[in-house]
Amino acid sequence: MEIRLEQVSKDFDSVRVIEDLELLVHDGEMIALLGPSGCGKTTTLFMICGIHTVTAGRVLFGDRDVTHVPPQERNVGVVFQSYALYPHLAVAENIAFPLRIRKEAKEDVEHKVRKIAATLHIDSLLTRRPGQLSGGQQQRVALARALVRDPAVLLLDEPLANLDTGLRLEMRSELRRIQQATGSTAILVTHDQAEAMSMCDRIALMNEGQIEQIATPSEIYVRPRNKFVASFIGSPPIAFCSGAVSENMFKGPGFKFELPERLQAAAIKPDSAVTLGIRPEALQPGLDIPVSGMIAFVEPQGRETLYGLQLPDGNMLRSVQAGGSRFKLGEHVRWGLDRESLLFFDPDGSGI
Amino acid sequence: MRRVIVQSALLSALAAYTAFAAGPFLWIAIMSFRTTSEISAAPYALPDTFHWWKYPEAWFNSNYETYFWNSTQVMVISVTVLSVLGAMAAHCLARYKFPGNRIVFFLIFSSIILPPQITIIGVFQLLVEYGLYNSLVGLTLVYISMQLPLTVYILEGFFARLPQDLFDAARMDGYSDFEIFWRITLPIGMPAIATTVVLNMIYIWNEFLFAVVLLSDDSKRTLPLGIQRFLGDHLEDTGMLATGLMIAVIPIIVVYVFFSEKMIQGMTAGAVK
Repeated sequence: MEIRLEQVSKDFDSVRVIEDLELLVHDGEMIALLGPSGCGKTTTLFMICGIHTVTAGRVLFGDRDVTHVPPQERNVGVVFQSYALYPHLAVAENIAFPLRIRKEAKEDVEHKVRKIAATLHIDSLLTRRPGQLSGGQQQRVALARALVRDPAVLLLDEPLANLDTGLRLEMRSELRRIQQATGSTAILVTHDQAEAMSMCDRIALMNEGQIEQIATPSEIYVRPRNKFVASFIGSPPIAFCSGAVSENMFKGPGFKFELPERLQAAAIKPDSAVTLGIRPEALQPGLDIPVSGMIAFVEPQGRETLYGLQLPDGNMLRSVQAGGSRFKLGEHVRWGLDRESLLFFDPDGSGI
Repeated sequence: MRRVIVQSALLSALAAYTAFAAGPFLWIAIMSFRTTSEISAAPYALPDTFHWWKYPEAWFNSNYETYFWNSTQVMVISVTVLSVLGAMAAHCLARYKFPGNRIVFFLIFSSIILPPQITIIGVFQLLVEYGLYNSLVGLTLVYISMQLPLTVYILEGFFARLPQDLFDAARMDGYSDFEIFWRITLPIGMPAIATTVVLNMIYIWNEFLFAVVLLSDDSKRTLPLGIQRFLGDHLEDTGMLATGLMIAVIPIIVVYVFFSEKMIQGMTAGAVK
């Protein structure tokens, strides 16, 4: 089921938290609503399922306008952050709960519960109460309850936030597998970019009630639309340093280089201020645009090492290099930038 | 060593409190098997012979059957209405945002602080005007209105702490507002409801003031009034009074034991996570 938000706005007590939001989720697609806390991603999710009313604009499921349809009639499956399992019901009854109201035949209900429980590997837990389950098991039960009635749309509100690290990694691929197996259209709310990147077809990055960019994970990483997107996506984060462009040359603090071809075509005004974004993998020893500085911190991470390189003007760049630490704290080094993966932003923060 | 001292101090305090609370009750229980003359001869003595016959005697010789039945009717109906109505009101106040929600809640809550004596003349006048004076229906209505504020207050406090996600989830699962109340709030709220059931049962079973003011016929009397009859005008039949009290108190003890078990079960099962 295709989901479309048109010019959707939401006020809470006359404070506008969502402004003219546009979003199109294709049928069978899994999309992430990613953003810092308080950016309105859960509010958006709750407007799609109908828990929150929409102040202005339209919500469409396929061709059907559901803006004013009560949540009971939207056929949406939701996995809440807290899982919201019914504490007084056994697992089987929790899963069967959405079916009971539909007056389905007893055998059908039983059959569907067994089937979904088998898919999610929780068939051995059916007689237990939610209080007797671990976090990961509760999560699966919540997912089973959301999926059992074949929802048109599956909404996941930070489903992995309450799990410990190992289980989180496992459930990431598990969730994706189930979503693809059931072919449901899914929206995942998360503040964890790794989760969004690894699980979703596309990412809608939100900030302050607006969508900054909607793109595939690799696109949003390689071509962020603005500085906010560039700084939010990527870990360790991107570093910025300001400079000026004239005659197809970028002049930064202590280094200058010729702009890559795609920017030469963009015809930047001479002498205009430009911010350079340097991802940690774009700064490496032996690359062709030389940058000198002093190593300000060394963080060995096993497989790779994160260095902080302080430029003469005080700016701090980051570099991730494979292997153990070969450079020492305080050492003066001359590394280089990878021209093709550099990012450029104009003074108002938009990407060039 | 310090632990032993603390423990023994705690134990002796508990023992003293138990003696203080249970002593008079035991005393009445012992007296219920003794005759009035035996009691006046030696008030604190144990029974020489257990006069079991006093129980049927107290029951059959003084209309006890009627009082018991009246009390049971009033209590069961009041507590049922209180629980259903109170839970519904508490659910709405805890769960729905509507203008004036807090004002309604405050008005209900503030009536808890009024002592019942203040309202009794007004209540009496009202019941007379509506032809409900000297009727069990009238008394039941008064009990419901007296106990509703406290019931709503206790239940609202509990229901408000239930996570909103549960209700949103039930809505997403396709349940209507009333079904959500019936299938989510009520079963999960059972421990709190059991608490109010016990409180209301004890209050209504023992209530004397309103009963004595609002009932006049012997055939309408509730148990507390029936017991009063043993305090005769001329002769005080202490032995029979004790027997009557024991008969009156046994059901409430049974109910309490049953429900407190439920209450504790509900609380320890981690019903709400």
